[in-house]
Amino acid sequence: MRYVVGVGDMKAGQKGDIIVTHALGSCLGLMLYDPVMKIGGMLHAMLPLSKINMEKAQANPFMFVDTGVPELFKAIYNMGGLKGRLIVKAAGCGSPLGNNEMFKIGERNHTVLKKLLWKNSILLKSEDVAGSKSRTVHFNISTGQVIISSNGVETEL
Amino acid sequence: MKNKSRVDILSKVDSFPSMPGAAVKMLSLLDNPDTTVTQIEGILRYEPGLTANILKLTNSAYFGLPSKVGSVKHAVVLLGWRRLVQLVMASCVSAIMNKSVPGYDLPPGGLWRHSIAVSVASEGLMKELGLPSDDEVFTAALLHDLGKLVLGSSIKDDIRAIEITASEGVPFEVAEYMVLGTDHAEVGAKILESWSFPPKIVNAVRWHHEPDSAEESDVMLDIVHVANVLCLMMGIGIGREGLRYEPSRLATKRLGLHTAHLEIVASRTMQWVNELTEVFGAK
Repeated sequence: MRYVVGVGDMKAGQKGDIIVTHALGSCLGLMLYDPVMKIGGMLHAMLPLSKINMEKAQANPFMFVDTGVPELFKAIYNMGGLKGRLIVKAAGCGSPLGNNEMFKIGERNHTVLKKLLWKNSILLKSEDVAGSKSRTVHFNISTGQVIISSNGVETEL
Repeated sequence: MKNKSRVDILSKVDSFPSMPGAAVKMLSLLDNPDTTVTQIEGILRYEPGLTANILKLTNSAYFGLPSKVGSVKHAVVLLGWRRLVQLVMASCVSAIMNKSVPGYDLPPGGLWRHSIAVSVASEGLMKELGLPSDDEVFTAALLHDLGKLVLGSSIKDDIRAIEITASEGVPFEVAEYMVLGTDHAEVGAKILESWSFPPKIVNAVRWHHEPDSAEESDVMLDIVHVANVLCLMMGIGIGREGLRYEPSRLATKRLGLHTAHLEIVASRTMQWVNELTEVFGAK
């Protein structure tokens, strides 16, 4: 199956599946992979903290980093994933040009992610974050390979 | 070279599709304080497809009307005729804008979805900031990137040069200007001028990336400027240029904007974008 993850969305899959998300700007794309079970999931979260709109967060926890990340881990654990085996990668969290703090939602998304992971003793294997480019992510669940494409240039994460 | 590009591009503005007749007639009503429901009905009587679209839009949850609307008259009573004129124009331009824009790497419908998102985010920001509602914001936001339709087909050969310039930290619209002698905001404004749009809307489109370069500051312009960057950050209509635009500090100061305003509006926008894209798309 090929799953497309929209903004404020999460998909999990197994061997044979491809999970894609398009156009990460300031949003966080987070990929989890268990290489033994060959299962994985991807989150596309828009905003750092759910307290800005609790009602939305209840209806859709994937919109926010602080509520979406735990949900992604839960989904993978429910499929048989084990914390010690998980490979965690992040992409996105971009910002527009200039130093207007107000628009650094991408940076704040990244900060909240790092805090959550740190608290739970989880390290990122790799990341392609910040800057002002748009990123599309292809996640192959058979191999765990994550490819980031931006302006026609593909790189493996 | 630069001047040749500019001349070539601006000559394309003249051959750009003209504004549909019903929208032109509606537009002329905007300046007339004595506009009546009968006049609006008179224009729409001969446009059954357009009328059906307007009613569908009017009944979408976005406008939050308490009861279902079945006639133009009823829609005018509940929405106000200025709002209705905006919806007529939105329906008319959707056919022009609902296309792919190759130069900017926007897929079919990408530009239109971005346009709807900026309209929704603009109105959301106005509300959140407690600014008096202004129906024209919806139209200005909807049309802010119109110029990309012309430039998209012209910049294929120049996109590398534009990207190299922009990679040096220059905002994308400035890189466009440096390479082509014009940018998508100027081209969009020229099209709207040729369609005889109100100067305020033309102004908001012209300076939507550089609100501080406009002759006078304007709330509608500042709002469209901020909403545009916010929607690109959310990835809606983000193309080849990514986030290579610079939000103006003066504009955010003039608006009294804070991070919380941006985030709350962002959290609400997606739902309405999906809703309106569906209504516009279902023709």
